[in-house]
Amino acid sequence: MANNIKNKKILSGSPRITKISFLGRVSATLHQHVQQFFNSFSDLWKTPFATLMTVLVLGLALSLPSVFHLMYKNAERIAGQWDGASEISLFLKKDISEKQIQVLINKLAIYPDIESVTYISRHQALQEFKELSLFSTALDYLDENPLPAVLVVVPVKSAMTAAGSKLLAGKLKRLEKQGIDLVRVDLDWIEKLQAIVVLLVDIVIGIAVLLLLSVLLIVSNTIRLNILNQREEIEVLKLVGATNRFIQLPYLYIGAWYGLLGGGIAWVLTLVMVTWLHSGIMSLMGLYQLQFEIALLNFQEVVTLLAIATALGFIASYISVKQYLVKIEPK
Amino acid sequence: MILFEEVSKIYDGKHAALKQVDFHLKQGEMAFLTGHSGSGKSTLLKLISLMERPTTGRIVLNGNDISHIKGDNIAYLRRHIGMIFQDHRLLMHRSVLENVGLPLLIEGYSRYEIKRRSLAALEKVGLTGKENYAPIHLSGGEQQRVGIARAIINQPPLLLADEPTGNLDPKLSLEILNLFESLNEFGMSVLIATHDLGLIAKMRYRTLTLKDGNMINDGLMRERNGE
Repeated sequence: MANNIKNKKILSGSPRITKISFLGRVSATLHQHVQQFFNSFSDLWKTPFATLMTVLVLGLALSLPSVFHLMYKNAERIAGQWDGASEISLFLKKDISEKQIQVLINKLAIYPDIESVTYISRHQALQEFKELSLFSTALDYLDENPLPAVLVVVPVKSAMTAAGSKLLAGKLKRLEKQGIDLVRVDLDWIEKLQAIVVLLVDIVIGIAVLLLLSVLLIVSNTIRLNILNQREEIEVLKLVGATNRFIQLPYLYIGAWYGLLGGGIAWVLTLVMVTWLHSGIMSLMGLYQLQFEIALLNFQEVVTLLAIATALGFIASYISVKQYLVKIEPK
Repeated sequence: MILFEEVSKIYDGKHAALKQVDFHLKQGEMAFLTGHSGSGKSTLLKLISLMERPTTGRIVLNGNDISHIKGDNIAYLRRHIGMIFQDHRLLMHRSVLENVGLPLLIEGYSRYEIKRRSLAALEKVGLTGKENYAPIHLSGGEQQRVGIARAIINQPPLLLADEPTGNLDPKLSLEILNLFESLNEFGMSVLIATHDLGLIAKMRYRTLTLKDGNMINDGLMRERNGE
């Protein structure tokens, strides 16, 4: 028997008769990645209904944070517009003379947080009121002009916030002895709007986190089912020498594809929802006499949405792969 | 090539599938592993192919202790072993060509090289023209030969076969064994687990006999039978 062995041509310890060079291996690995990337996409459509359902659910889950983001973005723009219009009206006493008014204007001009002061005389105020209201004829019957003169104070840009305007109004109230009857700055609605925006941000963040978690769970569960369905194939691959890295690659790509496609659907759904809400929002803005164009997702935001969705799909898939694939061993 | 030193395998802490087994299969040697069902043949093959780990003892493959090998090293080591299974372990939704080319795909060979060598391996096992079939449309014998083609495609130094002729008729069984013999002629070490004593008797090769997990005989079947 020993002679029998001796006479044979003995193979070397290595199984490879043709050795592959380092460059050959790198090129083969890259080729494998490209191939797996596209193969995983076509693998998705072997079960089109299941894939479509998964992608639609992901799209729905991702579209809500995306729509909320748009709502926040637009609400912030509206608040910005209104915030910029935070003028302070100083209603002057009726018995104040023109000279005193000029002194007051000069005094206000010294304030560093005041950008400009516009004087509206009692006569101008009455004329404006007549033009804007429907009572022009009725006003002619009045014995005297009931309207006071007004100084419209516009704060400097840095003070053009709810807090800044409030602070300035406080300072101006101290000038009551110099002919100011009433200081009026309508801050309530700005503060309310800002509080709503802050609350909206908190709600958006909370819901977005929950929905993104649901995306992780959906993709992770889908990949888990894929792995369990292909258990036999995974066992065979391991038996013929495949590493975990080689086996997990298609699953990671499939997860990323799910995310990317879900992100794409979320983008489309966001556009559909904004288009649907457009006329309602514009009517509402009209009631507040605001010139407003709804801002959509810009290019950078769309890329961010797709990148986040793809990354989520990849991460969810990675979690599943680490959890289930590595545990499958051939028996 | 393979060295077993007092190897035992105990399942669930009570069932001893192998008990203190010692043997040495030299490089380029061909041997049969026989014994009744449950004697420990499959466990021994699983230990070599790292599907199981020994409870005690040492297994050396090609000079390397593989008793405690871990991670990707298991995969790399399996690339040095051709494995043939009684149930073929083929991927039924892939073509014969894809099944045979799997070990080369894993090793990163080009598509052209995989196809060229897969066709050559299929020719060697007599399945030319069946490369585009799905394994499910082949007979049991043909499926077995697809499994053999897959096991030998990267020309491993060691070939393990678990009941390779279990589902085949005597003529086909002999053909398969002749194929193993020719592979062995080229220096491949071959270990075949079978309980077909008639087949073993027809060929003059070393036979390892297991009974209840013990190696009870190591020698030529004919010598043992006093022929």
